[in-house]
Amino acid sequence: MSFVVAPQTVDEAIAFLAANPDARPMAGGASLVAMKNARLIEASHFVSLARIEALRGIGPSAAGGLRIGGMMHHRQIAECADLTGGWQMLRQAAGLIANRVVRNMGTIGGAIANADPAADYLPVLACAGAEVELVGPDGLRRLAVADYLVDWYETALEPGEIVTAIELPAGGDGPSVYRKLARTPGDYATVSVACAREGAGPDSSVRVAVGACGPAPIRDRDAEAALAGRLHDPAAIAAFCATLAEQADPIDDVRGSAAYRLKLIPRMVAAAIRDVTGDR
Amino acid sequence: MSIAVTIPPEKLTGTAVGKSTPKLENREKVLGRAEYIDDLYRPGMLHAAILGSPHAHARILSYDVSQALAAPGVVAVITGDDVPDGRMGAFIKDEHALAKGKVLYQGEPVAAVAAETLEQARAAVNLIEVEYEELPAVLSPEEGLAPDAPILHENLDAYFKVFDAGSKGNLCSRTELSEGDVDSAWAECAVVVEGEYTTEPQAHVAIEPCGALAEVDAQGRVTLWSANQSVFRVQANVCESLNLPMSRLRSLTPRVGAGFGNKMEAHVQPLTVALAMKTGRPVKCILTREEDFEIVRARHPFKVRMKTGADAQGRLIARDCEVLLDCGAFADDSPGVLGYALLMSGGPYRIPNQRARGKLVYTNKLRFGAFRGFGNPQVGFAGEQQIDQIARKLGIDPIEMRRRNMLREGDGWFAGPKVASNGLARCLDAVEAASGWARRDAISAAPGKRRGKGIAISAHISGLLGTGAIVRMLEDGTIALNTGATDIGQGSDTVLAQICAEALQVPVEMVSVASPDTDGSPYNWGTTASRVTYTTGRAVAGAARDVLRQAMDHAAEMLDVPVDQLELREGGRIAVKGANVDLPFAAISARAHWAKGGPIVGSHSLVFDEPTHDPKRAIALGLPFPRIGVFSFGAVVVDVEVDEVTGQPRVAEAWSAIDVGRAINPRLVDVQIEGGFVQGMGFALYEAMVWDGARLVNPSLMDYKIPTSADTPPIHSIIVEDPEPNGPFGAKGAGEIGLNPVPAAIANALTQVVGGPLHALPMTPERVLDQMTGQADEQPQGQGDEA
Amino acid sequence: MAGKEVFALQINGTRREIFAPGDATLLDVLRDDLALRAAKRGCNQGVCGACTVMVDGVPVRGCLTLAGACTGREVTTLEGFADDAAMQALQEAMILSGGVQCGFCTSGMLITARDLVAQTPVPDEPAIRSALSGNLCRCTGYVRIVEAVTDAALQLARQKDTKREAVE
Repeated sequence: MSFVVAPQTVDEAIAFLAANPDARPMAGGASLVAMKNARLIEASHFVSLARIEALRGIGPSAAGGLRIGGMMHHRQIAECADLTGGWQMLRQAAGLIANRVVRNMGTIGGAIANADPAADYLPVLACAGAEVELVGPDGLRRLAVADYLVDWYETALEPGEIVTAIELPAGGDGPSVYRKLARTPGDYATVSVACAREGAGPDSSVRVAVGACGPAPIRDRDAEAALAGRLHDPAAIAAFCATLAEQADPIDDVRGSAAYRLKLIPRMVAAAIRDVTGDR
Repeated sequence: MSIAVTIPPEKLTGTAVGKSTPKLENREKVLGRAEYIDDLYRPGMLHAAILGSPHAHARILSYDVSQALAAPGVVAVITGDDVPDGRMGAFIKDEHALAKGKVLYQGEPVAAVAAETLEQARAAVNLIEVEYEELPAVLSPEEGLAPDAPILHENLDAYFKVFDAGSKGNLCSRTELSEGDVDSAWAECAVVVEGEYTTEPQAHVAIEPCGALAEVDAQGRVTLWSANQSVFRVQANVCESLNLPMSRLRSLTPRVGAGFGNKMEAHVQPLTVALAMKTGRPVKCILTREEDFEIVRARHPFKVRMKTGADAQGRLIARDCEVLLDCGAFADDSPGVLGYALLMSGGPYRIPNQRARGKLVYTNKLRFGAFRGFGNPQVGFAGEQQIDQIARKLGIDPIEMRRRNMLREGDGWFAGPKVASNGLARCLDAVEAASGWARRDAISAAPGKRRGKGIAISAHISGLLGTGAIVRMLEDGTIALNTGATDIGQGSDTVLAQICAEALQVPVEMVSVASPDTDGSPYNWGTTASRVTYTTGRAVAGAARDVLRQAMDHAAEMLDVPVDQLELREGGRIAVKGANVDLPFAAISARAHWAKGGPIVGSHSLVFDEPTHDPKRAIALGLPFPRIGVFSFGAVVVDVEVDEVTGQPRVAEAWSAIDVGRAINPRLVDVQIEGGFVQGMGFALYEAMVWDGARLVNPSLMDYKIPTSADTPPIHSIIVEDPEPNGPFGAKGAGEIGLNPVPAAIANALTQVVGGPLHALPMTPERVLDQMTGQADEQPQGQGDEA
Repeated sequence: MAGKEVFALQINGTRREIFAPGDATLLDVLRDDLALRAAKRGCNQGVCGACTVMVDGVPVRGCLTLAGACTGREVTTLEGFADDAAMQALQEAMILSGGVQCGFCTSGMLITARDLVAQTPVPDEPAIRSALSGNLCRCTGYVRIVEAVTDAALQLARQKDTKREAVE
């Protein structure tokens, strides 16, 4: 048996993983092979998902939203014309991952399985209210981002399970925005913010998620509800930002100090809200 | 005898100097056929892997290599017990080929394995057992100078030193320079500024990691290829550390994937040779990117305390500079960096009273060493901010402030070196005009951004030490040039060929350039100190003149006219003045080879011998280089934009002018300016190696970021030519000057934009935001700014 | 570590038999087994871009691609572009512009640039800078590389126009 196996269907992949407990699924390989090269992981086999047709495609979901196959490359998402309005931020985030060449390799499913807290998709998906679709020996399940992420680099993904798709609920007209601060283009985020507007009238509200400031994106639906209809009220926005900052658990690392991240949260969230309201 | 000229007329391009000839080896590089160290293979070649120390400071008690030796594919394991007690080092010989007796930093090579495959070597490394007695570690210069500090080099007194280093305890070296009377001069000053500045270690990140390949022939003689900046320094370091006579080792170079100081002194060459000698087989050792970060060398972190005073007209009266340098575990080039930083601490200004003092302290970290700029960017970061501060206090335009004080032609440099050529005034004029400096306040920032311009100037030497050149006229009249200077990608092979071609009036295409080889090339100290164009260029021009003199003698006999009636003409012909009678080199060389005199071989050697220190002018203690070099000058203006939300700074545009005396190849000078700018920008804005205790936390390109094409600005390179009297065709160095002033220029621009001061590198978004929002008072280095 | 395996890859238009460790990367196989050494190992983490090659016409990192996952795909390295007009235009422009210094990044840079000019016939400067941002160069400051790609793209576009006019 080869070290790399490339099943044609999800069922074959799941069966192989079940039969070979030391095998690891491999999506685009961009992170996984880097870890192998650094001798951080070992595996009996890499199960490439690249030839599974069912993991491709972006199209309408059964629930009336959008379904993105787990093996869609970042570049395909960054270039997807369907991602407008409330989904625009996903397209933006995909286009800010690494660089043109790595975007040809990396996939959304792989990125979500890897679940780096400073990576770009998670805050956007949390903001969009997306569900992660997992398939394993016990069948299919869909989890909200908040339920999928357990702790730093720890997800609900069980051994033998793979990320097969992302489902986004209807996105609305937006607008939506993804703001990212990184040391250099293509670096992981120091802090990132995804923000989408709901509705256009005086009662309109925002959905906001903050990335790279804890094990999982920070989102507070109660605070969002409290802010509804007050998107032009500086005091309300400040209170909203403070609420999000209180929930942050950032670390000191080479991308920035925890203290700086805490300073950035209110500044970047307020800026993202201005982006979607058009205020200056 | 008559021989037809072999040079086709369309190749007669006229003079070679001043033309942007594409580099001679560009085609093999764009075709992917250039061979770098990792592209070399030898029959029966083994692969090496290195075991690094887990401790920052420990005594090695014992080794057990039995399991590793028994592992599949393993041919040999070496430890400190396998290498002799020889020590190497450019200034202080303090370093073994492999840790011996003690380890002095985390990651230091302790043992190495040679195996049939790289995978096998890497697997076997983990089977080596080393027993250590851990010792307390010294992790900062201050800790190292503490009275009860653990001592790294217990036999420091006994080490060979090339200068009066004043070494003691963990003090590796100290240097002091002074002229005038600084302490009394403050009373004459109308304005005095004072501050502390810190800079962080920068990694070189040549995209090619370091590596070496060694083999031993049947006679026991070693041949060594390696990524290097000097085949001769490689030879010296290997032979000194392994107690080999230099004649027993031949050092060669493949193409080099850049070096910015990191490939000048030894990296893995000594241990690779030790493995080849032990196995009797060729051994290749290529560092991983992570090892390249962890065990080669990096730019010194500096702590600078500086004070500058001026009179009410803005004339500089005095400067006092005190620096503290982290040396890391071995001296390497550090004493030179300390001495040079102090020498450059006054900047290119007339300052009658100057003092500069510094200490270099061993710590249990990776060695710090040479990096493009060699201490100059760090002291410039402090000095050029103080010039702006004084200008601000006195209401003088920053460029005008610099004009009033800059050194002029014929002035002496601090401590005594002569300044012969000086194009600084023209550099200032050029960047002032090109950047639209006068209208700089009129440019508005984009929404959400703040924007401003800053300037800084610098000078740098080119020179130092010995170099030679051999020029041979081949049978057909074409030319073979051999200098021993390693071209690390910057284009010195091309530039030296241009100098040779110009001197002999032949097309560059007719000059071949030999690859450096310690068996056949004349000595060349190295591709460092911005020196190859200037010093090796002088040797090449001298050797070419030697060839020409011999050719003239032949021609005089062949044409039966006195030498003084002959002249050199374009195309490599010697002609009778005023007459249509000439001889091609081919005819002359044929005569020399087959009839009379013997083959024409010209040579020239020199060592830079003008003194650094004028004892009538200054007092100097512990000066590591008694003879230094000639001066290049530069000025840079940056346009910087700051994001109001995050504080993230971005250089939007840059103008950089340098005086190179004469641009032998203008495009290659442009690229030195541009590449130097971007490396300085990375150093200014985000590059920093970070240690958590003794552990380097970011030894990868994921965690240590260098500038990309997307965050670098358009850079306007401007070449100023003020010919150096003894430079080859007036040329002087261009390699480092373009980097030096960049951090200071960006700091000065950011101070304009966010109200500074920015006294710590890198100038991260966090530091800039803190200044912008007035929260910077927690930064200790921001205190005591203005006295 | 996986044991050695035999498999076949389609490299630069030729089927090549490989006998390599099962976990070997495409870069390992190209350089160590096939002596195709234009692609360089600069970081082995996918960051520097010196190992960039094409798989099925799409630029990828050789160091992040497992060779065993490339069976049935068409791998093209810089060596495989010897007769490619667009690549030749880029190479000539790099030679003239000064965009080549040490040359270690050049091969990967050219592969990425070749993809850019195929996707975007006349890219502007921001597009070029963005496209090349995953190919690190420590020597040039990028100015002359951007210039070379600009020049080559313009030249290729002009050639295309000339050809079209000739056809019309």
